[in-house]
Amino acid sequence: MIINTIEYKNINETLYVYQHKSGFKAFFIPKKGYSKKYVAITTNYGSIDNAFIAPGEKDITKVPHGIAHFLEHKLFEKEDGNAMEKFSLLGSNSNAYTTFNQTAYLFSCTEKFNENLQLLLKTVQSPFFTEQGVETEKQIITQEIKMYQDNANWRVLFNFLDALYKNNPVKFDIVGTIESISEINKEILYKCYNTFYHPSNMAMIVVGDINYKELFKQIDENIKTFSASPEIKRIFPIEPHELNKKYIEQKLEISTPLFQLGFKDSIVIGKGIDSVKREVAVKLLLSMIFGKSSKLYNNLYGEGLINNHFKFDYLLDPNYAFSILGVESSDPEVVRNRIIEELDRIKYKGLNRKDFERIKRSVYGKFLQMLNSVDKITYNFISVCFKEVNMFDYLEVYNGMSYENIMEVFNNHFILNNMAFSVVNPV
Amino acid sequence: MISSALPESRISKISDSNGIRVFKIKSDKFNTNTINICIHDQLIKERASFNAILPSVLMRGCVTFPTSQDIFMELENLYGAFFEYGTIKKGERQIIQFHIEYISDKYVNDKINLTEKSFDFLYEIILKPLLEHKVFRNEYVEQEKNHLAKKIRSRINNKNQYAISKCFEEMCNGEPFYIYEKGSIEDLHNIDSDNLYKYYCSLIEHAPIDVYLCGEFKDDKIKYILSKLSRIKRGSKLNRIEPPIIKKEIKKVKEINEFINIEQAKLSLGFRTNIPPNDDSYYELLLYNSILTGGTHSKLFKNVREKTGLAYYVMSRLEKFKGLMVISCGIDSSNKEKTFDIIIKQMEDMKKGNISDYEYESALKWIETGTNSLKDSQLNIVDFYISQSIAGTEDSFDSVIEKIRKVKKEDLVTLSKSIKLDTVFFLTSKANQL
Repeated sequence: MIINTIEYKNINETLYVYQHKSGFKAFFIPKKGYSKKYVAITTNYGSIDNAFIAPGEKDITKVPHGIAHFLEHKLFEKEDGNAMEKFSLLGSNSNAYTTFNQTAYLFSCTEKFNENLQLLLKTVQSPFFTEQGVETEKQIITQEIKMYQDNANWRVLFNFLDALYKNNPVKFDIVGTIESISEINKEILYKCYNTFYHPSNMAMIVVGDINYKELFKQIDENIKTFSASPEIKRIFPIEPHELNKKYIEQKLEISTPLFQLGFKDSIVIGKGIDSVKREVAVKLLLSMIFGKSSKLYNNLYGEGLINNHFKFDYLLDPNYAFSILGVESSDPEVVRNRIIEELDRIKYKGLNRKDFERIKRSVYGKFLQMLNSVDKITYNFISVCFKEVNMFDYLEVYNGMSYENIMEVFNNHFILNNMAFSVVNPV
Repeated sequence: MISSALPESRISKISDSNGIRVFKIKSDKFNTNTINICIHDQLIKERASFNAILPSVLMRGCVTFPTSQDIFMELENLYGAFFEYGTIKKGERQIIQFHIEYISDKYVNDKINLTEKSFDFLYEIILKPLLEHKVFRNEYVEQEKNHLAKKIRSRINNKNQYAISKCFEEMCNGEPFYIYEKGSIEDLHNIDSDNLYKYYCSLIEHAPIDVYLCGEFKDDKIKYILSKLSRIKRGSKLNRIEPPIIKKEIKKVKEINEFINIEQAKLSLGFRTNIPPNDDSYYELLLYNSILTGGTHSKLFKNVREKTGLAYYVMSRLEKFKGLMVISCGIDSSNKEKTFDIIIKQMEDMKKGNISDYEYESALKWIETGTNSLKDSQLNIVDFYISQSIAGTEDSFDSVIEKIRKVKKEDLVTLSKSIKLDTVFFLTSKANQL
């Protein structure tokens, strides 16, 4: 058994890496003195994987929107009852979630770590779908869909994605629609499972105060597949550079309008260290231009146009990349115009080098704060684990980033023609 | 005075003078230290809006950092220190909180001295506000009134949360607990820079203040903090905070419907537990709540979600200090009666002692894991001790678990008889309005 050890001495952290012969990768980050142990298994399969050629087949299989999330719910159902109940008996909290590009299963516990670990590995390797179970789940997920329909934050986000993309499936709601999930049956679920849940398409992260040799031995013994990985051909529609729409609006029962705006990236580097560089550069720019220490934020806040919940982010994947920012505002259009003015000003005058250095220093501290929490480490680690990089690479990239790098990215990211604007207004 | 031989996550009081108590919580596993300052006040209508707006006005500027931009730049200079402030409500008490989390001295050049700088930062913000004509700067006060009014109005934006807090309020209409922690728009109108500054001065003089230091603090840093705190001018008489009235007889269950434009209705049931937080049966209540709505093991998860598919979520919230419990779920409005009946049936079952070994064991472990996990977050550790202090109990994480382990099924039967339905709050679509 070969276990690779990577030490990050300046921040006192170590990463252990092991690869099973099936291609399954397991990572471990020790956190001495912590009570809680956190484990997540993730599949490189999310809401965007709606068309594929299954291993051994020739034709394209198209599946209903929301199926990855549906499968996530149903994977807990087992012949001898719900796996969540078994986690409960072992005193752990189990959960799962589906994103655009991943499905993750996780538990946290303070005791009986080995039993919990075995149970999680078993849960993801033993599907048991029944007609009856699928039908009840449709009712539950219908309620989940309705809950999101009333959620203005959720709606403003998916409307924004719909404005950004003409064809890319990232624009469709992760949970699907009431119509799309009605088409799901156990046969389609098995087909998706068999295609995407091969260990070579999965990874695992463990964080906590644990003996690593024992841990990897346990993992090794509990993976039941030994064959090489079949190739999954994912089919994505061609996405033009242009936006689908510049503006999108919806009305909901809220007191103040809510908006999101952002830029569709024409440069999409979804993997490797270059993707981290792009992500870090855009995120530093967002902090400098829109962060709480920025002039723009403080002016807009002082005028009552935005509040202190103002947030921004940058997401990138092999198939999409965009920045997004937004908050409640009594006048989203004025805020949009002010953002455009500010970007225009920066284009000619540049950014302040002192701000750049100060924000880089702040990012270092925030990274160390993040390493305090086993939950956050787990989440951040798995969110990049299929990108051929790891979470600790970010720190190095942040340190190596120069003012010239970010100004170059500024000029090729913040392009006005690529900016979409989504607003939810009160009824 | 300063004990360093404490076990991990244990608290010790290191100073108590002039109504300012300083606590130290030892923990060396974190990369960060935290400093938390709590200013306590009774929850009453006349002062609630003053307390709610005060921290955000202080955050607009102090003598050293006269604008919020200067303040946020300083936080970035402090290696991206995490800073949070706000006014919360625990029972019938309002607490103005300031919390800073900064990386331990071991990760930065020693000369930088982040502990002193972070404490100074808090001290300046809270005690050296920017003044204009000897009161708060009018522009800042007016802007913050505007922001707060919008936040009060935007409660409706989060429907799940709104359905719960509205139920709590409707239950306690006429009691102080009814008052919203952010105050009210009418009361906000009466605030100006002059009366707010006067209020602030009297609060700093008379309010009980607690300071929590969590992490690794060297003795000289503690001395520095204590000496600065001793310079705060305090009055001779401190405000007293009365505990809330908990026991209440219910003559008739209140039924309240609210109609808005929504797809999914929210059913919230408000109960009086009649159990004070310092009573032994409080630990029984924790277990009771875990069995009923705790996690995937709970009776309601199984019966309202898994068996019948009525809801995606069903949850409960305990208000420890006022002895209240709200159960809330999102359903189709046509399933209101059916869901109500299932919830009440599960509670009736508990009165009869219908609690399986699986439910009992899982519920117990759920609390054990949850309680032990609190020790992995400095924010949670501090919050745990704040709650202990308000409840007047001296539990540690371990003693909470010990006490809950002693609870038997029979105790839950007795306990369940004291839990009484008070209010049914139904948030539903306008289409259902007659």
